[in-house]
Amino acid sequence: MAYSPNDEAPAERPLKAYAFDPSQGRNLGNYMTVNVRNEAAEDPPTELLPGPVGKYLAVIDYDASNNVYYEPVDLNDPALLLRGGLDPSESDPRFHQQMVYAVASETIRRFETAMGRRIRWGFRGGRKNDPFRGKLRVLPHAMQEANAYYDRNLRALVFGYFPASETDPGTNLPGQTVFTCLSHDIIAHETAHALIDGQREFFLEPTGPDTPAFHEGFADIIALFQHFSYKEALLEVIQKLGGQIYRSRIGPNVQPEGGRPVIQDELSKSNPLVELAQQFGEALGMRAALRQALGTPPNSNALKTLFEPHERGAILVAAVFDAYFTIYMRRTRDLMRIAQGSGSATTPGNLHHDLANRLAGEAAKAAQHFANICIRALDYCPPIDISFGDFLRAMITADYDLVPGDHHGYREALIEAFRLRGICPSGVTSYAEESLRWCPPEVLKGITPPLCTGLKFNIPHPTTPQQQRHNAITLSRFGKANAKALGLNPDKPVQAFSFHAIHRVAPDGGLKVEMIAELMQQMDVALDPDDKDSDVFTFRGGTTVILTDKGEVRYAIQKNLGEDSKDNKRLKRQRDYYQNSMASMAMAAYGTEEMQDFLPRRGRKRSMNFSLVHRGY
Amino acid sequence: MATKKKNKKPAKPIAFGKNTIRVRMYRVGFGDCFLLSLPVADADANADTHRHVLIDCGVHFKGDLKMMDRAVDHIAETTKRKLAIVIATHSHQDHISGFSNKFSSFEIGEVWMPWCEDVRDKQALKLQKKHIALTERLRQHFEAEARRAPVNKTRAAAMAAVANLVQNKTALTLLRAGFNVNAQVRYLNASDFLKNAGGITGLSANILGPPRDEKFLAKMNPPAGQSYLRMDGSQSNRLDAVQPFPARWRLKPSDPAFSDKRLSHLRLSDEETAKLQKELGSPSLNSLAFALDQAKNNTSLVTLFSFRGQQLLFPGDAQWGNWKFWLDKDDAEGILSGVTFFKIAHHGSHNATPRDALEKMSKGKFAAMVSTQNVPWDSIPRMPLMDRLGEMTMNRVVRSDSLKLAGTSGAPKGPELPEMPKGFAQGEFWYDYLVKLK
Repeated sequence: MAYSPNDEAPAERPLKAYAFDPSQGRNLGNYMTVNVRNEAAEDPPTELLPGPVGKYLAVIDYDASNNVYYEPVDLNDPALLLRGGLDPSESDPRFHQQMVYAVASETIRRFETAMGRRIRWGFRGGRKNDPFRGKLRVLPHAMQEANAYYDRNLRALVFGYFPASETDPGTNLPGQTVFTCLSHDIIAHETAHALIDGQREFFLEPTGPDTPAFHEGFADIIALFQHFSYKEALLEVIQKLGGQIYRSRIGPNVQPEGGRPVIQDELSKSNPLVELAQQFGEALGMRAALRQALGTPPNSNALKTLFEPHERGAILVAAVFDAYFTIYMRRTRDLMRIAQGSGSATTPGNLHHDLANRLAGEAAKAAQHFANICIRALDYCPPIDISFGDFLRAMITADYDLVPGDHHGYREALIEAFRLRGICPSGVTSYAEESLRWCPPEVLKGITPPLCTGLKFNIPHPTTPQQQRHNAITLSRFGKANAKALGLNPDKPVQAFSFHAIHRVAPDGGLKVEMIAELMQQMDVALDPDDKDSDVFTFRGGTTVILTDKGEVRYAIQKNLGEDSKDNKRLKRQRDYYQNSMASMAMAAYGTEEMQDFLPRRGRKRSMNFSLVHRGY
Repeated sequence: MATKKKNKKPAKPIAFGKNTIRVRMYRVGFGDCFLLSLPVADADANADTHRHVLIDCGVHFKGDLKMMDRAVDHIAETTKRKLAIVIATHSHQDHISGFSNKFSSFEIGEVWMPWCEDVRDKQALKLQKKHIALTERLRQHFEAEARRAPVNKTRAAAMAAVANLVQNKTALTLLRAGFNVNAQVRYLNASDFLKNAGGITGLSANILGPPRDEKFLAKMNPPAGQSYLRMDGSQSNRLDAVQPFPARWRLKPSDPAFSDKRLSHLRLSDEETAKLQKELGSPSLNSLAFALDQAKNNTSLVTLFSFRGQQLLFPGDAQWGNWKFWLDKDDAEGILSGVTFFKIAHHGSHNATPRDALEKMSKGKFAAMVSTQNVPWDSIPRMPLMDRLGEMTMNRVVRSDSLKLAGTSGAPKGPELPEMPKGFAQGEFWYDYLVKLK
C-alpha cells in the first residue's frame, strides 16, 4: 500500500487553557489553545491514561487537605477530542487537570527543543513498584494554601487553592476560591524549577544570595517568554499599545473627559504580557500582580541592597527582558518606518491589521530566540554556585557557539542590559564579548589537557546504563589526572555527574556532537571555623567540562573547591551566606530540627525549599 | 561566658548615689523587666534623687518563676510609686504580662509603645486584627492536633511561640489607657527623637525602630487563606475549610471506581497519601507560627537613650528584620560604636543580635545584660552569642539565670558567675549595673 501521511498519528493534540488566569475573563485573548505533543505519536508511543498520565507527567488530583480525589479527565474521550479539550471552566476540576497538563507539557517541549535532547527529572530511581516511576507527579489541588511549588522529595509539583482575601480581593470576589493551577505563569514557573533540577546534580543547592534568586528569576523568565507565544493575546496588546509591547499599562480605548474614567472603555489596565500571576497577587490583597518584572529603571546599586530571592531575581528578569525588548524594537523599526512613510497610522489602537500581524510575528520569534538562549545557557553554567555574572557568560558563550555572527546584536543587547544593572561577572577584564566567553584550559591555566578518549555513545539513541557507567569512570579518571588544568583540587576525589551528549548544527550546516559533564568535588567544613561545636556542612566545588567528539576540552567552567582555609573566598562567602540566612529565619530562635536541613550534607542532594521561598514567610 | 581570672581582687562595687545611673534587671523567668534609674542633677534635699523608667514587665507562662508580684512591689518601693516613663516594647506576654492594675496606684508620666499598637492608626489596626485572628486560629489548631497525635519538638516550640501571643488583652488595655492615671500615651516609630524624654532633664531618646516602611509592613502581614482545626467538644472540625468542587466531582480514596480498570492507576498508596498529608499540612503552620512570632518581635520599640555621655540601647526583642532596617543606614556605625550599655534582644536568641551589629560595637567599651533562661526553649540563649558577648564586653555581661533565687526550687540554672564584673552588683532577685557619671 502506498504511504500516506494520513496514516501517521497526529503530532499534536489541541487543548484549551487560559493564557493568563481566570481573572482576565475573555479579555486580551485569554482563551487560548495549546498544541501539546500527542504522546501516542511518539517512539515508543505512550498511551495517555485518564489523569492525564503520560510519559513525563502524572496528574493525580488528590487533595491532602480534604483527603479526597477529584474525577480525572480522560483526554482520549471522543467527546473531548472533538472539541479540542474541555472549555475553560473554574468549576470543573477536569479542566484544571487538562490545563496543568497542557501548560507543563508545553514548557517541557520548549526545553527539549532548546536543549536538543530528552529531558529527565531530578529524582532518580525510586521503588520498582512505584506506578509513577520516572514521572513527575502533578497535584493540581494538593492543599488549601496560597502556595505552589516543586518538591523533589515528593517528586511532585503541588498547587494550592485558597479563598481570596475578604477585605482586599482585587478583581476577585471576596472569599472566592482561587486556584494556583489555573495560572499559566505559576504552572510554567514551577515546571521550570523541576526541569532545571533534572539537568544538573547540585545546581539547586543554595550557596549564596544569587542562587535562589537565579532560580526564581530564571523560572519567571521562562513563564514570561511563554506569554509572547500566545498569538491572540500578543496581537491585542500590540494593537492597543501601538507595537510598544514593553509598556506596563494599556491606555483606555476612549480618552476619558477631564481625566476621570466614567465607563469601562475609559479605564486603563495593566499589560498582562509583562506581569506575573495577576490573580494570585490580587487575591492575597497585594493589589498587584505577584511580580512586576519590568517597569523600573535600571539601577546598578540594586544588587547590593536586594537579597530577597524574588526581588533579586527580578533584576535578572529585567536584564533579560531589556535585551529582548531592545531587539524587538530593532527588528521592527523598519516595519514602523515603512508604515509611517506610507501614511499608515502607528498610534495605539490604529495599527493596520497586517502591520500588527508582522509585529506579533517578530515579537514571538525574538521571544523564542531569547528563551532558547536562556535554556541553552544552562549547559554552559558552572555545576554549582551560579551567579548572575556566570549566567551572562553562559548565555554569551552558548549563543556564540550556535550563531558566531551576531547580526541582530542579541549578545550586545544582553551585555549592555546586564552592565546597566551592575551585574559584573567575576574573573573577566571587560564587558567585551570575547572577554565574557568562557575560555579553554590553555587560556586559563596555560595547560592543554590531553584528549579525553574512550567515551561511548549510541547516537542517535540514548546511552545505555552500561555505557553511562563506563563514561562516568572514564570522566572521573580524566578529571583526577588533569586536575590542575581543569581547576580541580588534585588531593580530592573527583566524581562525574550529569554527562550527556549535546548536538548542535555548526555554522557550516554540519552536525556537531559535544559532550558535557560535571566533575564534582566536596569536603566537609565547619560552618563557623572559630567555634569548635560548630555545625558542619558539605562544601562543593567542580567544573563543567564541554568536550568535542574527539575528546578535546573546549571549555572548563570552574568553581574551585580550594582548601579549607580562611583565604578561600568562595568558602567564606558561602559561610557568611549560611550564617546570615539561618539568622534571618523566623524559626532560628527556637533551634528546630528543620534548621539543620538548610545546610548541604554529604550524600544528600540539597535543594532549595521552594515551599518556603514561594510562601514568602 | 566569663573566664576565671585568678589572683585578682574583685572590683569595688559602685555605690548608688547622686551621680549614678542604674539599670536593674529583675529575674522573673523567661521575660523582661528592666528598671532604669537616672540621677536628677542638683536635686533638693527633699526631692527625689532619681527618676525612673520601666522597660517591659512580663514573663512567659511556661518560663514563669512566679516572681512578678514581688518584682512589681519592689519597683513600687524603689521608685516611691513614681515612674517617669513606662515602655512596653512589644505586645508579647513575656514583655507585658506584669502590667497589671497594680500600676494604677503609681504616678506615671508617659507610656511608650510602638506605633503598631495604636488603635487609632488604620494601618496598625488592620495588622492587629489580622494577627489576633490568626493567633487564635493557630492556638486552636495546635491544641486540636495535639489531642490527635503526639507533639514533636518543632511543634512544641511553635506552640510556645503562639502561647506568647495570647492573653495580652488586659495588659494592653491598661497600657493604652495610660493605666487610668492620666499618663500620656505615646506611639512611636523609627526616626522619632525625644528631647528631655519623659520630662527627665538631659535624657534624650532616639527611636530606631519599628519603621513605617511598606516593605517592613509586608513582613508583618502573613498571608491568610489556610484552614485550621478546632475542637468542638471532643470532635475536631476544620475551620474555614474550602471544598473547591461540588460533591459530584469528589472521589473518596475508598471509592469503588479505583478498583475499576479505568482509574486503578491513579490511586496512591496509603503510605503516600499519609506522607502527602503530613508534608502538605502542618509544617507550613509551624512556619506560620514562627513567622507571626518574629513579626511581633519586629514591632519592638528600639530605643537608644542618651544621658550625660552614656548611650543605652534597649532593642526589646527586635529580630533580624527590625535591625536590618536601621543597620543599613549610614549613621548605624556611629550609633553602635558609641553604645555603652546594651540590653540583649530576645533573650539572647540566634536571630536577635546580628553579628554585624555586635561586631560594630566598641570592644571593652560597653556592658550588657541578658534576661534569659533555657526554658521553655532550650536553644535560647545561643551559646556562641553569649561567648562572643563575653569577649566583646571584656566579661562585663550578666545573665539573669546566673542569679540564685532563694525559695524557688526548679528555677533553670544558668552558668555561675565566677566573679561580679566591674560595675555590676547583685540583689535579692535582681542584678544591677551602675555607672558613676563624671
